[in-house]
Amino acid sequence: MRLLIVEDDAPLASGLRRILEAEGHAVDVTSRGEQAVLAAAQERFDLVILDIGLPQMDGFEVLRRFRAAERPMPVLVLTARDAVDDRVHGLDLGADDYMVKPFAMPELTARVRALLRRSQAHGGPRIVHGPLALDTVARRAFLKSEPLELAAREWAVLEVLLGKVEKIVSKEAIIQAVAGWGDDLSPNAIEVYVSRLRSKLEPSGIKIRTVRGFGYMLEEFKGS
Amino acid sequence: MAARSLRAHLLRMLLPPIAALLVLGALVAYYPSIEPATAAYDQGLIDVGISLGTYIRVADTGYHLELPAAVDQVLRRDSYDTVYYRVLGPNGEGIAGDEGLPEPLSGSGSSVVAYDTAYNGQDVRAVAVPALCGRDSCRVLVAETLVKRKRMARDILFSTLLPEMLIAFATVMIVWFGVKRGLGPLARLSEEIKARSPGDLRPIDAAGTPEETRPLVSALNGLLEEVSQASRNQQRFLANAAHQLRTPLAGLQAHTELTLAKALPAEVRAELEQVHQATIRTARLANQLLALARAEPGARGNAAELNLKTLAESGADSWVHQALARDVDLGFELEWAPVQGDAFLLREAFANLVHNAIEYSQRGGRVTVRTGRHGVQSFVEVEDDGPGIPEAERERVLERFYRVPGTAGTGSGLGLAIVREIAAGHGATISITDAIGGKGCRVAITFPHG
Repeated sequence: MRLLIVEDDAPLASGLRRILEAEGHAVDVTSRGEQAVLAAAQERFDLVILDIGLPQMDGFEVLRRFRAAERPMPVLVLTARDAVDDRVHGLDLGADDYMVKPFAMPELTARVRALLRRSQAHGGPRIVHGPLALDTVARRAFLKSEPLELAAREWAVLEVLLGKVEKIVSKEAIIQAVAGWGDDLSPNAIEVYVSRLRSKLEPSGIKIRTVRGFGYMLEEFKGS
Repeated sequence: MAARSLRAHLLRMLLPPIAALLVLGALVAYYPSIEPATAAYDQGLIDVGISLGTYIRVADTGYHLELPAAVDQVLRRDSYDTVYYRVLGPNGEGIAGDEGLPEPLSGSGSSVVAYDTAYNGQDVRAVAVPALCGRDSCRVLVAETLVKRKRMARDILFSTLLPEMLIAFATVMIVWFGVKRGLGPLARLSEEIKARSPGDLRPIDAAGTPEETRPLVSALNGLLEEVSQASRNQQRFLANAAHQLRTPLAGLQAHTELTLAKALPAEVRAELEQVHQATIRTARLANQLLALARAEPGARGNAAELNLKTLAESGADSWVHQALARDVDLGFELEWAPVQGDAFLLREAFANLVHNAIEYSQRGGRVTVRTGRHGVQSFVEVEDDGPGIPEAERERVLERFYRVPGTAGTGSGLGLAIVREIAAGHGATISITDAIGGKGCRVAITFPHG
């Protein structure tokens, strides 16, 4: 994948570049907002990592121009400020995710992977998570290339979780997403579907974590 | 310096001139009225002298006074005073009356003279009146003691002083109560300022305050504007400080983590692990110091209608990852809990409570975040099944940089101080109790109704 890093702190920018290159991405770095706007106009990037506190044209302005020019790539905003309005401001302008500095590298790479996956899956027919693959057109699932039997509601719950890897999805959110299948769904029913999914997926190293009293989180696949 | 009373000061300034006016007024009223009265009394004595003169008779042996006893009695009768008289012949020799009554020191024998002298050991007022005796001129002296004159002087003095005393008393009263009344607007102003919350730096409304207090109000508003300007500057400084600290820390963390991902000699790895841990601690400490500074009165943002349940949900993602990293089972029991507050600060307070609970739990421990309402009061509480906080330490752990002796972990001792500061800013109270199960501890923030 082709990534653009817009960050004016040289040590941080070089660190990010090396980490993301180690993940197998092609990475370009610029320290100026104006250059980022130009680069995005001339070339196609799969993801932009954008610092808010840039000299002259700041990250908010860069983001605004990206969106005004209808550039579709996901943007991960880095901010050293943590005022609530900064975050809201960033997300309102169309940032897809944000991270407050400093952050752990594994978290950054996980978020980058999630954003890339989401943008690839957007409209795409195939969702891949480790050994699991979902063909959303044919509505067929494969685990380690073997066909996997999933009931309609199990499929629906799994699709919701796959859309938010490493993020907690509340039971209410799952119920709302699955409500298209009609009749009343209790939180207990969701527990039943999740436990069936677990028994099918956990032997392959795919973990669905329960967050007590809140919901579930599909962990990033770390190998079986 | 002791506070000076405006009233006492005004009275001190006013009393000497009032006293001087009083004395002056008394003098001005006294002398014009005492003189005609003295003259009238003197005239009485003169009349007596003239009457006595008509009783002088000439005989071969010389002059003598042919005064019937009854007349003598009438002359000497007086309600208050003793009356003396003496008749002198042409050569100044005594003819009749009280021997030794002094003559006037000045004035000729042919004119009427009024004078003060003494007789029989008493002060007397006397007149000398010329009288015809044959072809010669005699002299009659009449004197009386001063009882009724002194009485008259006292009466006059009293009748002039009394109204002036009343005026002076009224002046003092007017000053005493007038100052209190006049300072009423100032008292209302200070009530208004006292009723404000420490973070309220809005200008004071000058409408409804009297003309004279306008300069004070506008000076106060100027000061408030400066303070809130300073507070805005501080906010800007904090935002800049956050950026300046966090970006290099992010770089440091990125490079240590990159290096740690490589194959390293065991001792280099151990050293670098230390650097990495220190970086993370420094980042956290910087965050906490900024949060603490932001929670200071004057730096606080505006209160909004919030729900503690929503705030807890929005923090859940990052807390769950912290909990997973330490193999702690983080759970939620969230109910609707409306509060008025600053979302950033409250989220910071929650994050500190949850972080502490996770940090001090054993591997495999359980941490539960609850929000809800006790009656009309909203609360948030975080419970863990860790070692707990001994009863005696519960007050102290809320102090800045205090850590329970013998505690493992790498905390700065700022977390709960931040929570306390933020709770205080919201009028909320913190309580630290044993966990429901008996093991571990439960920290709750309870918010006031409204």
